[in-house]
Amino acid sequence: MNFLYFDPGLGAMIVQAVVAAAAGVLLFSKNAWYKVKAFFGLLKEEDDAYDSIDIDEDNDDSEINLDEHKK
Amino acid sequence: MSTKNNTHEASFRDPSGYMFHDGDILRRVINPIYFPQYNKLKESGFFGTLIKQGLLIPHTETSVADDKIVITPEHIPFITNPYEWSFQQYKHAALHTLKLQKYALSKGFILKDASAYNVTFHKGKPVFIDTLSFDFYEEGTPWRAYKQFITHFFGPLVLAKYHGTEIFKMLQTHIDGIPVKLIASMLPGKTKLSATIHTNIHLLAKMESKHSEDYKAETKVTKLSKKQQSNILESLFNFIKKLELNETSEWGNYYDKTNYETAAFEGKKKLIREWVTPLNPQRLIDVGGNDGTFARTVLDKVPDVLVTDIDSNAVDYNYTQLQENKETNMLPFVCDVLQPAPGIGFNNTERNSLIDRLKDYKPDITMALALIHHITLSGNVPFAKSAEFFAKFSGTLIIEFPKREDSWVESLLVRKREFMNHFDFYNETDFEAGYTQFFDIEKKEIVPGTKRVLYLMKRK
Repeated sequence: MNFLYFDPGLGAMIVQAVVAAAAGVLLFSKNAWYKVKAFFGLLKEEDDAYDSIDIDEDNDDSEINLDEHKK
Repeated sequence: MSTKNNTHEASFRDPSGYMFHDGDILRRVINPIYFPQYNKLKESGFFGTLIKQGLLIPHTETSVADDKIVITPEHIPFITNPYEWSFQQYKHAALHTLKLQKYALSKGFILKDASAYNVTFHKGKPVFIDTLSFDFYEEGTPWRAYKQFITHFFGPLVLAKYHGTEIFKMLQTHIDGIPVKLIASMLPGKTKLSATIHTNIHLLAKMESKHSEDYKAETKVTKLSKKQQSNILESLFNFIKKLELNETSEWGNYYDKTNYETAAFEGKKKLIREWVTPLNPQRLIDVGGNDGTFARTVLDKVPDVLVTDIDSNAVDYNYTQLQENKETNMLPFVCDVLQPAPGIGFNNTERNSLIDRLKDYKPDITMALALIHHITLSGNVPFAKSAEFFAKFSGTLIIEFPKREDSWVESLLVRKREFMNHFDFYNETDFEAGYTQFFDIEKKEIVPGTKRVLYLMKRK
């Protein structure tokens, strides 16, 4: 069942392909630049509450559960 | 547990479920139509991870039946709306949404809407509160909530960069985000040189106009791979993360400008701490509290503190500080006491007014320091009327009255020029006369070294 209770906008759906293309180029060049900087040791520590879009799954309850099983 | 007629005023669009008031407790009903999603989100550990990391509001399962599941989310003492956020807060709310969408995508889900009202601030961080916003990802489909993300988040942020944080107030008159065409028309031409802004706003506006007449829904929607969508999210994330206001001003000068002597400053802090501590308040609001300096004098004693100010920069500075200090019991937001946020949306109740929210919050103590002279002299509001305003939500009021001889008051009066005599009523006697209509004065003390009087008042 589709929970689409508002109009996403046809134009918005279509434009995403172009947006993705531009984004792809930007991310590629950002990565390349990052590698160059890393090679030359020019990287700075970025301390920011939002330094990454990715969620770290390392602290998982499941790991703790496993240990309890071992006991 | 009656669910009829107690439905939350904003909860009527999503067929997945709705929120309702069960006495004082807000609960969420999940309809059978959403059971597959809810169960998958629960069993796969998706909810678990997000809740554990403090990204999604925790909930407990209250009851499970064939026709509905009821969950109870953790209580949030005070909801701030997007038009009340400072720039960094708005940024973080946007980044938060993108973070969740990217994670959802990686686990086979998507956010079906990207409304700014899905996020609020709680325990010092943005938190996602629309638990039922997650839906199954359909391979190859573009993100249906993309346009909403642009109109609610990306657009306003980019506009604010060029035009200032006043832009955020447009979210009051445009409850579903600022229209893309309007955003595009308001941005300077040079934004077309930015690949991110050009594609996400200018091109989007063009495509919208082009396809607005597809009445028979004949145009095919293109496919978008997961990786492509992820790239959009990530590049928006990187762009927003680097966004700063063009008019950045260095905060920190306020207390220098008002030429507070250190002794007087510390004297005021001491008085506040002395008066607040024995009252043992659970909730406190500091109206016109700037960057939270005075609220911080009692932060260790009060479980829940709101700090509001008209100056978005001050709120920003406060927010940045509380993130650095990892303070979890302070919530800063932007508010103009002379025109607090009204009720908006359908029936003007979808998002309730600030005054209504404050009435529900019932602060034990309201502080109004260095505020009344602005309300009275700049806002031309008579004492009885401002007293009436505070009495709507304040049981106990700590209010600072700068006398006529105070340097700030003098300069405000002098600026009135020939109209100055109208403000002859601005004096201690008339102030007390106005306020004792609604409050009893319990304590009154001059702040040492100043021409300001601190009052402790209890509502009648």
